[in-house]
Amino acid sequence: MTTLYVVLILALGGAALAVAAFVWSVRSGQLDDLDTPPRRMLLDELATRAPAVAVTRRGADDAAATR
Amino acid sequence: MEAALASDDFTPIAVAATATTAATVGCAHCGLPAAAVDDGPAFCCAGCAVVHRAIRGAGLDAYYDVRERAVAARTTGRGYAEFDDDAFARLHTRDRADGARTATLYLEDLHCAGCVWLVEATPRVVDGVREARVDIGRGRCDVVYDPARAPLSTIAAHLDRLGHPAHPYRGAERDAARRADDRAALTRLGVAGAAFGNLMLIAVALYAGLFQSMASDERALFRWASMLIAVPAIGYAALPIFRTGLAAVRSRRAHVDLPLAIGLLVGLVWGSANVVRDRGEIYFDSLSMLTFLLLVSRWVVGRSHRRAAAAAELLWALTPQRATRIDADGTTSEVPLEAIAIGDRLAVRAGDAFAVDGVIASGASTVDAALLTGEARPVAIETGTAVFAGTTNLTAPVEVIATALGEATRVGALVRRVEELSTRKAPIERLVDRVAGRFVVVVMTVAILTIIAWGGARGVEHAMALLIVTCPCALALATPLAVTVALGRAGKAGVLIKGADALERLAHPGRCVLDKTGTLTVGRPSVVTWAGPDTVRPWVAAIERASAHPVARALAAVAPDDTARATDVIEDRGHGVRGHVDGHRLAIGAPAWLAGEVDLTPIEADLTAITSRGESPIAVAVDGVATVAIGIADPLRPGAAAALARLRALGWQPEIVSGDHPAAVAAVAAALGGLPARGGASPEDKLAYVQAAAARGPVAMVGDGVNDAAALAAATCGIAVAGAADVAIEAASVFMRTPDVSAIADTAAGAQATLATIRRNLKLSLVYNIAGGTLAVTGLIHPLVAALMMPLSSLTVLTSSLRTRAFRTTP
Repeated sequence: MTTLYVVLILALGGAALAVAAFVWSVRSGQLDDLDTPPRRMLLDELATRAPAVAVTRRGADDAAATR
Repeated sequence: MEAALASDDFTPIAVAATATTAATVGCAHCGLPAAAVDDGPAFCCAGCAVVHRAIRGAGLDAYYDVRERAVAARTTGRGYAEFDDDAFARLHTRDRADGARTATLYLEDLHCAGCVWLVEATPRVVDGVREARVDIGRGRCDVVYDPARAPLSTIAAHLDRLGHPAHPYRGAERDAARRADDRAALTRLGVAGAAFGNLMLIAVALYAGLFQSMASDERALFRWASMLIAVPAIGYAALPIFRTGLAAVRSRRAHVDLPLAIGLLVGLVWGSANVVRDRGEIYFDSLSMLTFLLLVSRWVVGRSHRRAAAAAELLWALTPQRATRIDADGTTSEVPLEAIAIGDRLAVRAGDAFAVDGVIASGASTVDAALLTGEARPVAIETGTAVFAGTTNLTAPVEVIATALGEATRVGALVRRVEELSTRKAPIERLVDRVAGRFVVVVMTVAILTIIAWGGARGVEHAMALLIVTCPCALALATPLAVTVALGRAGKAGVLIKGADALERLAHPGRCVLDKTGTLTVGRPSVVTWAGPDTVRPWVAAIERASAHPVARALAAVAPDDTARATDVIEDRGHGVRGHVDGHRLAIGAPAWLAGEVDLTPIEADLTAITSRGESPIAVAVDGVATVAIGIADPLRPGAAAALARLRALGWQPEIVSGDHPAAVAAVAAALGGLPARGGASPEDKLAYVQAAAARGPVAMVGDGVNDAAALAAATCGIAVAGAADVAIEAASVFMRTPDVSAIADTAAGAQATLATIRRNLKLSLVYNIAGGTLAVTGLIHPLVAALMMPLSSLTVLTSSLRTRAFRTTP
């Protein structure tokens, strides 16, 4: 019976912690955008595949001029 | 000499050789039909060509591997100089502590993982950008950049070239309010879920204790623990339900939340009383499950509503909140929107958006109205032309006389209409409310009668059991669960349905008015035949690039590179265009127009062949010699006929009402087996037609925007298809990512199946409540059975909803 008291308190304490963590994650804005992260995560490994090519101000202006 | 060499290419042999290679291939960017070119990728339009080159040029080719679907690109080619303005920086950017700056931009056409990746790769491509983060649901992007190294105009121009034209994001305050609501709802959902899970664990122990023996002090411990979790958790999570229930009592209107609130409240109070008395049933597990399921289904349904409303508000967000007013004495002053009156004269610089609906008082320019009309081409404006709030003045400063402000503008009216649409209840939801209203009266009466009939404590006990058992959780869940499942599945198939209302409207068949462009046909004219030497391609492309005609856009895509420069381009509106390229004099246009100055005999046979295939012929003359025959067509979608047959089988009567040339519409109708068809309809004609038809019965209107928004809104159920203007999407009840008539048939079938599921759910829940109520009143019900019946009824409805045939992907 005493074990039950301890375990029950531990279990409910764990649940309370989980709820607190959830509330914190909501308040800190982690769950504001539920659409983009699942897509972004699919493309993580691509980050290394793109070579860096500098677009300078001139380059952009040229691109505009070709229109 | 160069000219002589070039004209040497125009031998009959060269013509014959290239004429045989003329074929249609997929556009390298979006996959729509485009005329094949011998070297390099082919494009359907100049926009796709620019974007494709920008993507390859920046080393972002991986985009083509990862995107989920191909969409024709839109790019404006603007310089975005106004983004570097100090006033702009003050309004739309924030300085960071480390010297960098954050700007929030609205980006057009964010659809899939590929777009997210493309935009978020900006820091690796544009020097001076530290971070770009996309929120795809809101279409916004936060850019952190170093103003000294990368001006915002450069970043915006880069994003534009990738096919995502940028706009300043003005909806920050509204967003903040909505975000607070979202977070509160999500917190309630989380709390209800946690309570539900833990209460179920305890409930398992208690139920097990009923069959195996359990020490009474252990039983009491678990019951007390249940109560301590359930009362605060449900009290907090179900607060909105209690509030609506109370409001329903006050306003004396039937609402399904009233019986729910009564059931929850009685359950909590009576359960707690039983815990204290240490006898009788506690209902906390069932109550928490009901609360959790309700919150989940409402959150999902609310999310689709919010998304529709948020998209509409974007139009607001893109409308400036300040304008430059020109006073009577000629002085100008920057004033907030509220200070402007109808009749005021406003100055609008190039690159700025119009803040009001108005008429141009002086100046001539072009306007980008894509967000309002879906028309990607800039529209020319001059003195006397009407302009609309939210559209962007592109080329030159103009002065505008305000004719409508705020809510009265076209944008304002649209936003209001969308808000109405998203808060309007579906007839079946109103039916549920009415049933719930009578339900409350009946159950309360029966409960009082029960107390009187049984008398004393016994009577109270049975009445409490009755009130809890008949808590109409299944009734409240019947509609949202079925709708949630349907919307989720449809969303995966690329169909966005705005709530139960839209589903129900789609489920009642009637007339189905199709706009030919974009639904039955591929939706844009493209060059399908090129009979002539390929050397002419860059020249034709160079001349046509300067023109904004839709046919010119198709012609501008015949050559991949744009090294050739056209000079002296003169457009003969509606007939053709003349110009000089690389020392050659070109004339491009309708054969009849060209025949007046050139002998068409060399290409006569090709032109005849083109006309006989039903394509529109275009002739090209180089230095006064007819050289190339071009065929332009808008081909039928594959599978259009089969889809129409399915629509008819579902009870719909498809017909075409289109703004296209009557002959072209008749040809399409004939190709599809004699569809009722009407061509040459103006937007007003379409609106009048749809309104007249809607007065007689259900009408579904399928359109892709440009000028269909009004007709879409007037129809019983407006269906906007991919490529539609944002406005058309908002005005419609359904938006389809695939602009295909077969998707319409799928959606109509899915809607009918969903409505059948809702009806089945409602019947199931009523049967449960009547059976449970009878047992409770007669006192026959065992407390355990009562406790099990409640979740069981919810689970039955849940299972029934999940097993629906609606929108199930075909095996």
